[in-house]
Amino acid sequence: MALPEPLTEAQVYRQCPLDRLDFDTTESLEDLSLPVGQDRMLRALEFGASMEAQGFNLFVLGPSGAGKHELVRRVLASHASARPVPSDWCHVFNFQQSDRPRAIELPPGQGGRFRHDMNELASELKTTVPATFESEEYQARIQELQDEVTRRQQQGLAAIEEEANANHIAMLTTPAGFTFAPMRNGEVIEPEEYKTFSDDEKQLIEAKVEDLQKKLQQAIQQVPRLRKEVRERVHALNEEMVQLTLGGPMGELREKWAHVSAVVGYLDAVREDVVEHAEAFRDAENGAPAGLLNRYRVNLLVDNTHTQGAPVVYEDHPNHQHLSGQIEHRAHQGNLYTDFTLIRAGSLHRANGGYLILDARRLLSQPMAWDSLKRILFSREIRIESLERLYGLATTVSQQPEPIPLSVKVVLLGDRTLYYLLSHYDPDFLDLFKVEADFDDDMDRDDESYPLYARMLATMARSSGARAMDRGAVARLIEHASRLASDQNKLTGHDRVLKDLISEADYWSGVAESPCIQACHVQQAIDEREYRASRIRERSLEQIRRGVVRISTQGEQIGQVNGLSVLQLGATRFGQPTRITATARPGKGQVVDIEREAKLGGPIHSKAVMILSRYLANRYAPMAVLSLSASLAFEQSYGGVEGDSASVAETCVLLSAIAGVPLKQSLAVTGSMNQHGEVQAVGGVNEKIEGFFNVCQQSGAVSQQGALLPASNAEHLMLSSAVRQAVKNGAFTIYPISHIDQAIELLSGLAPGEPDGDGLFPEGSFNRRVADRLADFAKVGKSKDSSQDAEHDGNDPQA
Amino acid sequence: MTEMTRKPEGTPPGPVPERRILVLLDGSRLSLETLETVADLARASNARVLGIFVEEVNLLRSAGYGFAREVGRSSGITRPLDVESLHRRLDAMAVNIRRAFEQMMAPHGVAGSLTTCQGKVAEQVLTLAQPADLLVLGRAGWSGGSGARLGSTARALVHQAPGDVLLCPAFTGGVAGRVVVLLNHDQGANHRAVRVGAELAHRNRSPLTVLVRADGEDDRRLLTDLTAFLGQEGIAATVKCLTGAGAIAMARAVKVEGAGQLVVSRGSRLFSERGAAEALLCALNIPVTVTP
Repeated sequence: MALPEPLTEAQVYRQCPLDRLDFDTTESLEDLSLPVGQDRMLRALEFGASMEAQGFNLFVLGPSGAGKHELVRRVLASHASARPVPSDWCHVFNFQQSDRPRAIELPPGQGGRFRHDMNELASELKTTVPATFESEEYQARIQELQDEVTRRQQQGLAAIEEEANANHIAMLTTPAGFTFAPMRNGEVIEPEEYKTFSDDEKQLIEAKVEDLQKKLQQAIQQVPRLRKEVRERVHALNEEMVQLTLGGPMGELREKWAHVSAVVGYLDAVREDVVEHAEAFRDAENGAPAGLLNRYRVNLLVDNTHTQGAPVVYEDHPNHQHLSGQIEHRAHQGNLYTDFTLIRAGSLHRANGGYLILDARRLLSQPMAWDSLKRILFSREIRIESLERLYGLATTVSQQPEPIPLSVKVVLLGDRTLYYLLSHYDPDFLDLFKVEADFDDDMDRDDESYPLYARMLATMARSSGARAMDRGAVARLIEHASRLASDQNKLTGHDRVLKDLISEADYWSGVAESPCIQACHVQQAIDEREYRASRIRERSLEQIRRGVVRISTQGEQIGQVNGLSVLQLGATRFGQPTRITATARPGKGQVVDIEREAKLGGPIHSKAVMILSRYLANRYAPMAVLSLSASLAFEQSYGGVEGDSASVAETCVLLSAIAGVPLKQSLAVTGSMNQHGEVQAVGGVNEKIEGFFNVCQQSGAVSQQGALLPASNAEHLMLSSAVRQAVKNGAFTIYPISHIDQAIELLSGLAPGEPDGDGLFPEGSFNRRVADRLADFAKVGKSKDSSQDAEHDGNDPQA
Repeated sequence: MTEMTRKPEGTPPGPVPERRILVLLDGSRLSLETLETVADLARASNARVLGIFVEEVNLLRSAGYGFAREVGRSSGITRPLDVESLHRRLDAMAVNIRRAFEQMMAPHGVAGSLTTCQGKVAEQVLTLAQPADLLVLGRAGWSGGSGARLGSTARALVHQAPGDVLLCPAFTGGVAGRVVVLLNHDQGANHRAVRVGAELAHRNRSPLTVLVRADGEDDRRLLTDLTAFLGQEGIAATVKCLTGAGAIAMARAVKVEGAGQLVVSRGSRLFSERGAAEALLCALNIPVTVTP
């Protein structure tokens, strides 16, 4: 197999052609309303925003920092502007069930007027109703009523008294009532004298007294009925007067609000209530009780007076109360009170008829918020319930407002993990969020994308208030966007990183007093970022320089190779070489992965080691027993190893240990391998190569060193300028390999050799050495087995 | 210090201080509440209080009949009435009155005595009353028992008392507001009523209003005379005319003035019009002083 050509400077870094950028500075570029390369997501958004059917809510999924929120708001705002303004909603007192306030829907912008009208009415009631009761007419009629009743009451008693007097019987007042006794000349006759009366006279008097007592009894027992009658008549008079007083203003209001039948019905209920409570208004000095007038107020829950089109609401604290609204309480003398005026709207009320944007992670972290949202979306009505009631912790009587019909499009923003977890574990999720708008992490980099990407960068610069960028700066940003995407043919879609970089570059251009951002400022921003995050990397390099961590970048060594790994710490990641060593001796076909045995290796790494051991068996002992006991270890690695990107290096080092052929320490290796020895792509190649380059650089001048990487990774290279310069000078060589044999030849300097028809490798080839050594191992193993068998046979009592 | 005496009928009263306040007590809760007002008045005017409790002789006689029954004032329920139980009740009532009287007078530093006697109430009171005395009737004392607003006893006392009669409502609440004097054009400027009103106004530090019930013809002359009298006496008062108003309209006019007390002469035509005085007194829940 032919050795691969080393990569050239142009192959390890794709420059942005300045001639594709047809502007001097970004000042001349127009803003880009929609991002580049997000067609799939935009179509999903358009569809979701327009689709009316139930359950077609949206979940916009993508990595954080991709600018989901801003984009979604922009797209929805453009949609919303063409849609009608939704209704106003208000809560009013329910005169039938005081704890269930009614909800009234009003045309947009009319809620405020309705509230104003009702406030005016309440003020009017405060003055006109007492005035009615103070009027001459009312006073005279009340007096007439009372006089009549008093007269009837007095007449009854006076008639009895007169009748008594006519019969010479006195009606006297006792401490607790009345009594009758015979009298003469206004004086009660002495009882002794009475005894002298004839029996007939006595019988006559006593019969009369008894008769009078009965009549008096009846007359007194009529009093409660008379009082009740007067109460009823006074009430009827009050109603009549209030009806007359309210006739004018109520008539006007009914006419004004004739187009809203709910308001007309409510006004009728108000009139009936005022009449019913007419007497409470009679106190001209203190006025009607505030509690009574409060009943006629309007709690304007949703006011769309200033709303243009459909509302787009973002709820940044999506807890249960903020979503569905809440009922507040007022503390008064240590007690908590509430009424319908203390009902507060939630973001679902405000977004009703439009769009509600929520952050999925925040929503899910709030108790009951997710359940409440689902329940509301299923029922399509907003029912305000307090959290303590939902939990069953409070059983006190509270307000239960009439539910408000809901028509809202909920847009959840979240990362992909959340979306897939919800899809998997929540059976309701896909019923309610049928539209998936998936943000692309990156976009294609081609000649057409340059101008669009430049406009996008210009828009970002403008929105963050940064200076304009010149062509060089834009080109450098585009190149960095490729580096962030880890691909020469892609550009990152994460706008937060780019925005931050532009802001930082703007800062450095400000420090340099430059009128615009130039490439050097972008580079400075990138370098400063790297420097700020370089503490761990510097410490790691120092350990290598001082020999605490042993890495060789020169010479040759049997059973030892430089692997490459990547460390991710927060938002930064960097590569560093790791020494991988191997040992080999006769055995039973085992390759011991020391990392796995020590429980420091992950499953993917274990799989890679199994693949390479099968590769060895298949290639070097296809028809025989593989007599090998080998071990592999990542030296001075204490934090665990995962991934298969070291399998090429592991194979090479293992073969070196078996064959006893030294490997060049000036080359580092990365790449995964399949069972046929083909090299496959891995991640983080830029960081890995730069990591090894840095180690080489600090150990002296970079010379004749290099790295081996999968050929399929070549187009992912966007290496730093220092590496590029070394590549250009030939001091650092990068080989794209596609098969393990290429790695073996490059590392050992020996031709690997192809097997002939009998499966034998050519004499002197690397593979021949491996095969021979394995054959030696097999012999050693076999002779050991034979001696053990003989020993076993000699001891057999049956023999 | 309270002096308790039981004086026989017809005994002439002993030497009295400069002015006495006579209060008629019948044992009812409302009449006892009047004691507080009386104590305040006595302290303010440095007067001696004489409480009067009369055991109505006709009532005592009526209880002597074997067939006598008492019909409850509110319930209408009938129950037997005999002398023994009536005496027991009246004695208990007298004890209650005495206790209330002592509690109300002594702590206020008011000198007073309680007289208990038997006879006809009006006669007994008129026997005890002097022209300089103020006679106080609690609400129970003047809202007669047989249903009439102004019972026969109260009517007799208002018409025959030698001095002023104060009709106290159930609750006076500290008598705030103006003092209003109600006059009749035809009886002229009743100087006594105006003087009493001015004295009350001075004592309570309240403004004084004189309402003149005129029919329009002699208004000017009447007002001139009244103004001259007020000037002569050095009394500051607001004078207003009411033209041909009925009892209810007068009551409203008195209310509109923010009256805390009313003074009216018994020579006023109100007392001659049937039911007018009752209607006025009933419509006003303020103390009313009736001058001779």
